[in-house]
Amino acid sequence: MWTFIVRRLIQSVIVIIGVTFISFVALQIGGDPTYLYVSERASTEEIEAARRALGFDRPLHIQYVTYISNLLQGDFGNSLTFRRPAIDVVLQALPATIELTLFALILAISLAIPLGVFSALYRGTPVDGSIMTVAMLGQSIPNFWLGIMMIMLFGLQLRLFPISGHVPFLMPLLQGEIVRAFTQLPQALYYMIMPGVAVGFYSLSRNARLVRSSMLEVLGQDYVRTARSKGISERAVVVRHALRNAWLPVVTMIGLEFGFLLGGVVVVEMVFSWPGIGRLVFNAISQRDIPVVQASVIVLALIFITLNLLVDLIYARIDPRVKY
Amino acid sequence: MSLGLKPEHADAVPSVGPVPPASPKGRELRKEFKRAWRSMVVAKWPVVALFILLCVVIAAVFGPLLAPFDPNRQNIMIRLLDPLQQSGNAFYLLGTDALGRDVFSRLLYGARISLLVGLCAIAVGGTIGVIAGLVSGYFGGWIDDVIMRLGDIQLAFPFILLAIMFLVVLGPGVLNIILVLGIGQWVTYARIVRAQTLSLREKEFVEAARALGDSTPSIIFRTILPNIVAPLTVIASFNVASVILSEAALSFLGLGVPPSVPTWGSMLAESRDQLIANRWWLAFFPGIAIVLTVLSFNIIGDWLRDFLDPRLKTIG
Amino acid sequence: MAMKRHLLLAGAAVLLAPMATALAVPPEDTIVVGISADVNTFDPAPISSRDNSNIAKHIFGTLYEITPDGDIVPDLAESYVVSEDGTSYTYTLREGLTCEDGEALTAEDAAYSFNRAADPDNAFTGNTPGFVFSSIQFQGAEAVSDLEVRIDLGRPNPVSFGLIAEVFIHCKDSYEAMTLDEAARNPVASGPYRLVSWEPGSQVVLERWKEDEGNFQNIIWRVIPEASTRTAELIAQNVDIITNVSPDQIDAINNSGSAKVAPVQGTRRIYVGFNMSDDFADTEGGAAIQNAEVRRALQYAVDVPSICTQLLNFECERATGLVNPPNGNPNLVPYPYDPEMAEQLLDEAGFPRADNGVRFEITLQAGRGRYLNDVNVVQAIGQFLSDVGVQTNVELLDWASTYVPLISQRKAGPMFFLGSGGGTWSPLYDMTDLSVVGAGTNYTHWDNPDWFDRWTDIAAAETEEERRVVINEMLEVFYEDSPWLLLYFQPDFYGVSSRVAFEPRRDEKVYLFDTKLAGN
Repeated sequence: MWTFIVRRLIQSVIVIIGVTFISFVALQIGGDPTYLYVSERASTEEIEAARRALGFDRPLHIQYVTYISNLLQGDFGNSLTFRRPAIDVVLQALPATIELTLFALILAISLAIPLGVFSALYRGTPVDGSIMTVAMLGQSIPNFWLGIMMIMLFGLQLRLFPISGHVPFLMPLLQGEIVRAFTQLPQALYYMIMPGVAVGFYSLSRNARLVRSSMLEVLGQDYVRTARSKGISERAVVVRHALRNAWLPVVTMIGLEFGFLLGGVVVVEMVFSWPGIGRLVFNAISQRDIPVVQASVIVLALIFITLNLLVDLIYARIDPRVKY
Repeated sequence: MSLGLKPEHADAVPSVGPVPPASPKGRELRKEFKRAWRSMVVAKWPVVALFILLCVVIAAVFGPLLAPFDPNRQNIMIRLLDPLQQSGNAFYLLGTDALGRDVFSRLLYGARISLLVGLCAIAVGGTIGVIAGLVSGYFGGWIDDVIMRLGDIQLAFPFILLAIMFLVVLGPGVLNIILVLGIGQWVTYARIVRAQTLSLREKEFVEAARALGDSTPSIIFRTILPNIVAPLTVIASFNVASVILSEAALSFLGLGVPPSVPTWGSMLAESRDQLIANRWWLAFFPGIAIVLTVLSFNIIGDWLRDFLDPRLKTIG
Repeated sequence: MAMKRHLLLAGAAVLLAPMATALAVPPEDTIVVGISADVNTFDPAPISSRDNSNIAKHIFGTLYEITPDGDIVPDLAESYVVSEDGTSYTYTLREGLTCEDGEALTAEDAAYSFNRAADPDNAFTGNTPGFVFSSIQFQGAEAVSDLEVRIDLGRPNPVSFGLIAEVFIHCKDSYEAMTLDEAARNPVASGPYRLVSWEPGSQVVLERWKEDEGNFQNIIWRVIPEASTRTAELIAQNVDIITNVSPDQIDAINNSGSAKVAPVQGTRRIYVGFNMSDDFADTEGGAAIQNAEVRRALQYAVDVPSICTQLLNFECERATGLVNPPNGNPNLVPYPYDPEMAEQLLDEAGFPRADNGVRFEITLQAGRGRYLNDVNVVQAIGQFLSDVGVQTNVELLDWASTYVPLISQRKAGPMFFLGSGGGTWSPLYDMTDLSVVGAGTNYTHWDNPDWFDRWTDIAAAETEEERRVVINEMLEVFYEDSPWLLLYFQPDFYGVSSRVAFEPRRDEKVYLFDTKLAGN
């Protein structure tokens, strides 16, 4: 167990370094970003001075080595656009994205399991048909389009939900303002519903279909048939035997699912003016704000790695067959 | 959004029993097809899906012959015409877009590019992934470690960020999109192929091939590969769908194909300013094209999985 | 079952409870503005974007300020004198000024505000150090007395007075006590409003602390990048004013009954530049546009009025030069749309159509998403040019990361689409883009001496009338020699809720000091 964790941690360090290297190379291909940070009237000397000040006059490998050695001392560098420590800028945007992704994740899993089970139990009926049709549609609609349509329909026409914006919950919680955080929670959730659906609908649909097929598989297994033949009620069969085994594949997916949902966040944050890391990093890439891009990528990779490690460990507890 | 890189449906992939590498005779192949067709007809929906995909392919191949107009011919004096409008002696079946281009013609040409992007990206990702997975699984050791760590690095990197980074720098272009989306898929294939290869490596028929003195490439590509084609086709059919959606998302961010290249995704992305003004046709037609195509690929993928997985059929 | 239903209803009630507050119109003492770009900093020196500067102007005073009509009127200063040689300006501040934290604002603070922005240790870039200071060749600022501050320039410059009016003034002690990081987040106000909260990427809340200035107690700036979302928020009356309305959404807003679009003729000069540098001379198109006859011919090929009405939803008059009306040369008539004329001129210039109908191929580069409907406008221009046989390949590039570096290095081209900020208070302000051949803003590398040699005449002119004659002659050269394919002055569209009365300005500045509730 412990050797497993240690090995994973070593691998994680390699992964993080790889991630920084790839993003560094990707951002440097297009030439140095100095021109984005001088005025349009700057003279050649001023541009040269700015290049030196920003450190882009040094050879690339030196820049990278300097960056990594600073990183090891916990220094992520200063954002070029915000002129503040890059890690602060990233950590400020992170809670909003975590809220949104977590909400979408919970939505995707908590609804997917009952819908999938239901669909499997009523296989071939119109209920199954309609659930699966919606699930198929959910996997065919681009999320920005879903987002704009929801804004038009539920935000503007029906006025059921706020069109855009964000009420923080995690941020005040992390700052120790627990009372404020929880009094804001209903509001925060209310603002989260539409962007959350836009982020999570694809996953919800896919997981519902996944649960349905793994449920069908389990229902066909010998032990379920044995249980049935023993005269145990259908309900008990489903709950005690089938369901338990059917949602295991979904649990395995949670770690990867989170990373997947993060991918959808960039676009949805644009549509709903959600002040998260997706928009931040998109702008940072466009502005070649390399320190912010690097810091975001590292933070996201860390979250992803930790989550997957946790899932593996939990899985080892649930499923006794798995040994590390 | 489908820009993540999780191995979609990884767990839904059937574990197909080893097929000895006997080359199927023509008659057997025909028999196999017949069985497949019968299973399709029984399930009904796959037939519909197949029909839809056939239409898309026809549009893609014969688009230039079917299209009434040059898809890039602008005329800003007749922009945003409703569907079924006559202007002068030209008839616009599905209306015109914000630059006065014929939506119907763009839709037909869009089929070509969207399909091209989808299939090529899968081909790129699939090829890299399959080779990496085969090598990784067959040789093991440090090669395996290196390849799998590379995969981990990519998985830990929200793929959309990588895509944005490269496209911002490289600029928009069909080839760039294909490369970026293709590279985004390889880990999925590599992981599955590796797992399958690991289990096949020790099987008797592989041992036999080795004993007979077959070369390593021959064992990998002629003995092992044919046995993992089935699960790969299932994943590929799902992935085409997600690649088409990814292309749409990148277009939304302004990183898709250049504006002179019509794709369904970019048409949908361009329509977003028009939704609030009720110019529904600009979003509806490309939207419906994406939904139907993606749906069809998903249905085919589902059917393929059921068809290839004998266990599911035992369920009453 | 009934029990369950009750639970469900209760759950719904809990969920719907926040609705009342979430969907309410803002209170009477508060105005909400929806802007499109994120705010980066509240440090007055490195502010660079328009939206950022608009918010900052509510927090920081300036010595003078420019009114919507283009007059320059006192703000923190009450008067000024220019030295005889025109290289130093001495301002006298109003008495009794204070900053938000109670510190008195004196000449020393004003001088510090200038010098801090120029301090190389701070390595600031942005509007003040990068644009204003390099334009006026800022030498230094010094407090002459308690209320008098002198600003020294490198050379006399007729527009320096207007440029100095863009520099934000703040208090010395408070800023000396802060690190750059702190200064970026904690502005100490010298203007009527102060920062209450800033949630990056989401919103900025300002509150009035000077009693007699501004009508609203609170201003909330919400960052809403997506145009459709901004429009939806406006129609739902959650936001009172939005900037950058998409032209195709104007009708939707006007028909909503809850808001109207206020269009205004902006001062930004939109044009297609012909890059005449040697970089492109060996390309087919690059060589062709070195010829002034070709450039003039292309002026006739583009239907600018139709681009305005169709793509911008605005009636515009085509530009005759680089100077904003009404400061242009009144004798010049805009080039008409006359494709036959264009074809004829191209034939005469030695570029007949080849068998495939193409005269020559050329690339038109543009950044994406910066100017009003730019993606469509550029493509339409490409079509118009292709129609007369100039096969135009439109290249749309990412604005910040790809296009800006090209433009800054003057390497965009051979044709490039650009919008250059302008002013109405002096024709010379618009003309300084082309002050010398090597100027960083001479993106076309135009070098006609009939233009560039005349700047000495401008400097030598003794009266306003004499100068005007030279200006008109220069503008005629510009018109004839056509370094720019002339387009239009960009209109700006502001969405304004029926709840407020807001007059948009021509210069893209959104100042809310005079804005009030409708009907009050």
